[in-house]
Amino acid sequence: MAQQGHLEIRNVAKQFQVAGALLPVLDNVNVSVAAGEFVTIVGASGCGKSTLLRLVAGLDRDYGGTIDYDGDGIDGPSLDRGLVFQEPRLFPWLSVAQNVALGLLNADMDTAAKRRSVAEHIDLVGLSGFENAFPHQLSGGMAQRAAIARGLVNRPGLLLLDEPFGALDALTRARLQAELQRIWSHERITMVLVTHDVDEAVYLGDRVVVMAPRPGRIAETFEVGLAHPRDRSDAVLLRTRNAVLAALEATTGPDGPWSSKPQTRPAAISIPPQQAAA
Amino acid sequence: MAYYTLRNGPVGRVLAGDRGATRRKVAVSPWLRPLGGGAVALVLPLSLLALWTLSAAFEWLPPQILPAPADVEHGLVEMWRSGDLAKHTAISLLRVVYGFSIGAIVGLALGVAMGLSRTVEDYTRPLFTAFAQVPTLGWIPLLMLLVGIGEGLKILVIAKAAFVPMTMNSFAGIRSVPPAYGEVAALYRFNRWQLLRQVMLPGAIPPIFTGVRYGLTHAWMALVAVELLASSEGLGYLLVWGRQMFWLDAVMIAMVLIGIVGFGLDKVMAIIERRLQRWRFADGARGGRA
Repeated sequence: MAQQGHLEIRNVAKQFQVAGALLPVLDNVNVSVAAGEFVTIVGASGCGKSTLLRLVAGLDRDYGGTIDYDGDGIDGPSLDRGLVFQEPRLFPWLSVAQNVALGLLNADMDTAAKRRSVAEHIDLVGLSGFENAFPHQLSGGMAQRAAIARGLVNRPGLLLLDEPFGALDALTRARLQAELQRIWSHERITMVLVTHDVDEAVYLGDRVVVMAPRPGRIAETFEVGLAHPRDRSDAVLLRTRNAVLAALEATTGPDGPWSSKPQTRPAAISIPPQQAAA
Repeated sequence: MAYYTLRNGPVGRVLAGDRGATRRKVAVSPWLRPLGGGAVALVLPLSLLALWTLSAAFEWLPPQILPAPADVEHGLVEMWRSGDLAKHTAISLLRVVYGFSIGAIVGLALGVAMGLSRTVEDYTRPLFTAFAQVPTLGWIPLLMLLVGIGEGLKILVIAKAAFVPMTMNSFAGIRSVPPAYGEVAALYRFNRWQLLRQVMLPGAIPPIFTGVRYGLTHAWMALVAVELLASSEGLGYLLVWGRQMFWLDAVMIAMVLIGIVGFGLDKVMAIIERRLQRWRFADGARGGRA
């Protein structure tokens, strides 16, 4: 598919009907994402960041403003815009390979090309050897890897990720963040990742967009300005992190969920080697 | 490659409840263990048989009312040799197969259609609910006038009995498929047929099979009822005839056969269900799915 992936979100507004009243969830949101860029969006829960992603994915077409992808308006989902949900959403009755292949069901490829693409992407996310495993046989991290493979198997120009590592433990999350960075460098596609984890946003994003809640709007945007792959203890990274954290706290007030968060990552959990191999 | 995660560790597995329950081992008391896991299923039937033997030996009930197991066995062998038993069983089985197939297919179609479409549900559900409330036997007088008392009546009554649980469970099954799966289907631009084939039907298999097995049970009950009323062949007829002739051994034989054939059909359905859900029984099931 075309390796473009330029996303232009202009004046987007969205309201939900709640108990007869209109509740604004997004107001005047403007984001421009260049082709090949990695943009992360961070915000308090309920700031509409996931809603924004669903609009870009085309799952929800009821909004104001314009969203253009490579110059065209968005009219429903497209195989050129992938989405990875917070939970893997694999079909439990299909194996890993079958789940990934389902992403290609309506792709314009012959069977051999499909099979090759499935194998390549399973390999890309490090699941070779687990092609025939069923989702309930996978750990949470492995299931999310399979979901990422399904999101990428169409070779979309844009991959949207909705808090993809939110349900994982700290160690798995850190590993998958590094893997995602590698995959992004390898695939050279546009990625937009939504998260409430400031460290994740700063570690992965070329740019970090901070959203404020009620109604969801853009509060501030930070350029990280570091090459990938990154070192988590880089001084520039930590400085940016603190600035993003301060901006985020400003959106929620002093009692917000970030005010008491420790300034350093928790120490890595030590694992007996025989279990680490599981 | 495979990363250890806390939730899938031994502690997480205990907390999440062991999913291995789907392939649990049957609890076998130590003295039955040499007989294998299936032995426990025989404990109750054998105890009943022993009680029956004792009861007949001591004549707790008059032999005209409760014939001795040996008499029943004798009758069974005789009826089997004459070919009567095979004939009655085959006729009943055929009626159940025809009636159940019709009822189950129509019920599956209606239940799935109601589950997929709110419009279909709005149009058909009230009538279906009212229809389902009328007991199967309640339909027999009207159906007798419409189609007579031939094979058509029996098959229609059995079909109705299977149709109701099949519709209800298929409907509930489709509705129980998480909407999140529908979003995945939308994301990959599945058309209606792909949505049905890839997502809705596989997701609804467990409740649909509950419907199949209920439907089958109801079909047998309807069969016996309709054969009691209007038939000169079949296991239900054998029951009536035995009672009228006061040949209680024939009654017992018919009862046991209905039980065994019904049990067998249920087993066949369980095997089909298991084949369709092979993934549930895949080895190495770990803790929760995240």
